[in-house]
Amino acid sequence: MSVFVAVDQIEKVFNLSGGGQYIALKGIDLEIKKGEFVSLIGHSGCGKSTLLNMIAGLDLPTEGVVTLEGDRVTRPGPERMVVFQNYSLLPWMTVRENIALAVDEVLVDLSKAERQAIVEQHIQLVGLQHAVDKPPSQLSGGMKQRVAIARALAIRPKLLLLDEPFGALDALTRGNLQERLMQICEESQVTAVMVTHDVDEAVLLSDRIVMLTNGPSSKIGSILDVDIPRPRKRMDVVNHPSYYSLRSEIIYFLNQQKRIKKLRAKKSGATARHGLEKVNLEMGFVPLTACAPLIVAKEKGFFDKHGLDEVSLVRETSWRGIVDGIAGNYLDAAQMPAGMPVWLTIGGNQGTPLPVVSALTMTRNGNAVTLAKKFYDKGILNAADFKRMLLDSAEQEHTLGMVHPSSMHNLLLRYWLAAGGIDPDRDVTLKTIPPAQMVADLKAGTIDGYCVGEPWNLRAAIEGAGVTVATDLEIWDGHPGKVLGVREDWAAAYPNTHIALVKALLEACRYCADANNGEEIRHILARREYLSTSVDYIYLGDPNSHVCNIDQPMREYAHHQFFGDGLNRPSRTEHLWMMTQMARWEDVPFPRNWVEILERVCRVSVFSTAARELGVLDMKYHRGPIQLFDDIPFDAEDPIGYLNSLSIKRDFSVAEVAIDGRRPVTAG
Amino acid sequence: MTATLPNRATVSSRDRIQALLKHPAANIALPIIGILLFLTIWEVLARIGLIALPSPIQVLTDERSNYLIMNPFFYNSDLDQGLFLQTMASLKRVAIGYGAAAIVGIAVGILVGNSPVIDKMFDPLFQFLRMVAPLAWVPIALAALRQNEPAALFVIFITSIWPILINTAVGVREIPQDYKNVAKVLRISNQKYFFKVLIPSALPYIFTGLRIAIGLAWLAIIAAEIVMSGVAGIGFFIWDAYQQNYVTEIIVAVVYIGAVGLVLDRLVLFIQKRIAPGQ
Repeated sequence: MSVFVAVDQIEKVFNLSGGGQYIALKGIDLEIKKGEFVSLIGHSGCGKSTLLNMIAGLDLPTEGVVTLEGDRVTRPGPERMVVFQNYSLLPWMTVRENIALAVDEVLVDLSKAERQAIVEQHIQLVGLQHAVDKPPSQLSGGMKQRVAIARALAIRPKLLLLDEPFGALDALTRGNLQERLMQICEESQVTAVMVTHDVDEAVLLSDRIVMLTNGPSSKIGSILDVDIPRPRKRMDVVNHPSYYSLRSEIIYFLNQQKRIKKLRAKKSGATARHGLEKVNLEMGFVPLTACAPLIVAKEKGFFDKHGLDEVSLVRETSWRGIVDGIAGNYLDAAQMPAGMPVWLTIGGNQGTPLPVVSALTMTRNGNAVTLAKKFYDKGILNAADFKRMLLDSAEQEHTLGMVHPSSMHNLLLRYWLAAGGIDPDRDVTLKTIPPAQMVADLKAGTIDGYCVGEPWNLRAAIEGAGVTVATDLEIWDGHPGKVLGVREDWAAAYPNTHIALVKALLEACRYCADANNGEEIRHILARREYLSTSVDYIYLGDPNSHVCNIDQPMREYAHHQFFGDGLNRPSRTEHLWMMTQMARWEDVPFPRNWVEILERVCRVSVFSTAARELGVLDMKYHRGPIQLFDDIPFDAEDPIGYLNSLSIKRDFSVAEVAIDGRRPVTAG
Repeated sequence: MTATLPNRATVSSRDRIQALLKHPAANIALPIIGILLFLTIWEVLARIGLIALPSPIQVLTDERSNYLIMNPFFYNSDLDQGLFLQTMASLKRVAIGYGAAAIVGIAVGILVGNSPVIDKMFDPLFQFLRMVAPLAWVPIALAALRQNEPAALFVIFITSIWPILINTAVGVREIPQDYKNVAKVLRISNQKYFFKVLIPSALPYIFTGLRIAIGLAWLAIIAAEIVMSGVAGIGFFIWDAYQQNYVTEIIVAVVYIGAVGLVLDRLVLFIQKRIAPGQ
């Protein structure tokens, strides 16, 4: 359908009384189709009401235009009727008079009798026959808003604009009115834009949800399509499979905005000290056993030792939080899944290449594949059994969880499935779930299994929710797990800080690798501000010696490797392998300029400087060829040839990735 | 246990006072007691000679004042007539001056309230003129108009216009943005906006102004009449009585003035309640 309302490159600047300017909105683009219900959601002060007012014409944009059916909006008018948050009924008129005032003024072409009929009809529509002659002061909030809605609908607007219409109402009244509004909108095919800060309300009523970022210069953060069929009923909506993912998407967005605001307020620029360009660092991590080096560096004073005395660790619940933090430039550095630096650099995040460099591999191994208990009960004890089961029950849909497209879990799980003849996109469904949520999802039965780092495999096993069917030993022993990632522009701006950071973490890695420190580290990790879990689930080494019997012979455990010969040095070959795997599943194109990308991502020189200054020069350089369980050789000289040789893959593309901000040019 | 007893006693005495105040007769009986108390103190003070004023009983019994009290309607000449008639003459002036002030004040107030430019332009002037005491206007009025009667009307007008004007302007300025937005979205005609939105919304403010103004107008007329000799009216009556040292007469006239002021205030309040009930 054609565009009904178009908001085109809107910018709104307010002049402050002090003489300054406040840019409320910037670069807002929005197209609304006829009959669509669109919600604007965001924190207070994000300019959502301002945007609504500009569509209404009550406020004019500083730049850009709003059009309704192609006509530019320059002033308010009844074809764009507004339902105000505080009802805006005239208190000296009765309900009927309030509605009649609007009808008489707008529908002047109709006869008096017709207008009266319309007023009565709309009073009935909102069920207020008993209160027609009462002034608004004698009505409850819900009734007043019903009058306001009746008044708005009675003049037959082309576009209905609702400014937090139910914000001031109690929950019960709000629920009733939402259903009523939804019904009315569906019956009379109204196009509507609603400002709200109620997530459930937005999901229930909207076809699309527009999420605005925090001001100043608010823009559209993202737009969600609500694919729940109409007519909707509240209970059906709540039970719809998309409901919770939509809801959590919005809540994630809003929380993220709140955090950005907080960090913005805190950010006071770079504090240079001890010959370092910046010592106040915000470091992101996701609570996993593998985050031990970061936490140890903080707790055991390795950051301080190397001059970084203002490091604060920022706990993210998901890898997406890390991506947003690095992309939004409010995290200085982060623990990343091994594939993330390359993934971000090639443009995995919304197609925009964001050069990120890595100078340290912090951990290897520590991952496993866990399957729900029900499979164990069916006698599926290992990878081979699972594959057979998957192939046998192809008609059944199996959902597996992984943590991020660029994480080793995803790449290894896919590789492992594909090597067994299972197409990871067609034969099973892979779902991105934050690590800490895996066990809950497994228990709820929404996923059948997952591939994730510890402690979540062990925890599922101990709690009896699932069984570990494969560990790194069966897939790729010694694969890179988590790496240190920083933005390339950050690394360029703070070179000495970067080296100091690598030194601190490398020392922390060495500390973690010493078995004598195991107990201490386990207890540090278990603390509330880090993993916030029972210490029983956390093992740096082999848990078999501690956990006597977890219902089945625990397989040989691929314990974390933190430090050792060739372990920590960033490896171009490994990054290249991950690059091929991400291209294989069409997540990102394979970069034609892969040599250049690898050069830029892998900061071996930073690592070498750090290692030399720490006096660990004796670390071996070469790790040898990449060896996975299926013994297919990986030729680092010919990655495209390698990709072509794989049987199960998507139609991957090869493209030149221009990594100075320009979009990649796709070339088939 | 024992500690709570005195507590309970004070509570109960407070309760008793509450009950007393709620009793219907309290509204009439208590003010009467207050007035009687006041009159008694006055009587005593006058008797022992602490103040040189006649006592209340003297006022009632004195021949001249007694005649005035008993005959409010007699008429000998313009300057020699009953106090009711004198009051009516003053009230007539108030009605004209105050009426004009209300019309002009509300009209200008709406103009000022609607236009920030005019508001900025004249607000300091209004604030300045508002502070000029009614009596100060008298010589100016006399000099400008050269006649007692129009000068008296002008003094009332100029005294009572400011609260009306300023309050109306505030009322118009303070029309909630919501109502204005509704009017804008519906594109309500100017005429309809004026009568259906502007006036009803500003009405409580306008009445506040009118109520303050009626008190001031009544204040001003007495002051004006005292200064402008030779016009019939209760103000001049007081001045005349003072010149002839009839203090009891002055006291009777003062009672009239107070009573009329009270009645006028209540009258405006009554009208306000009828036209613009509490919103």
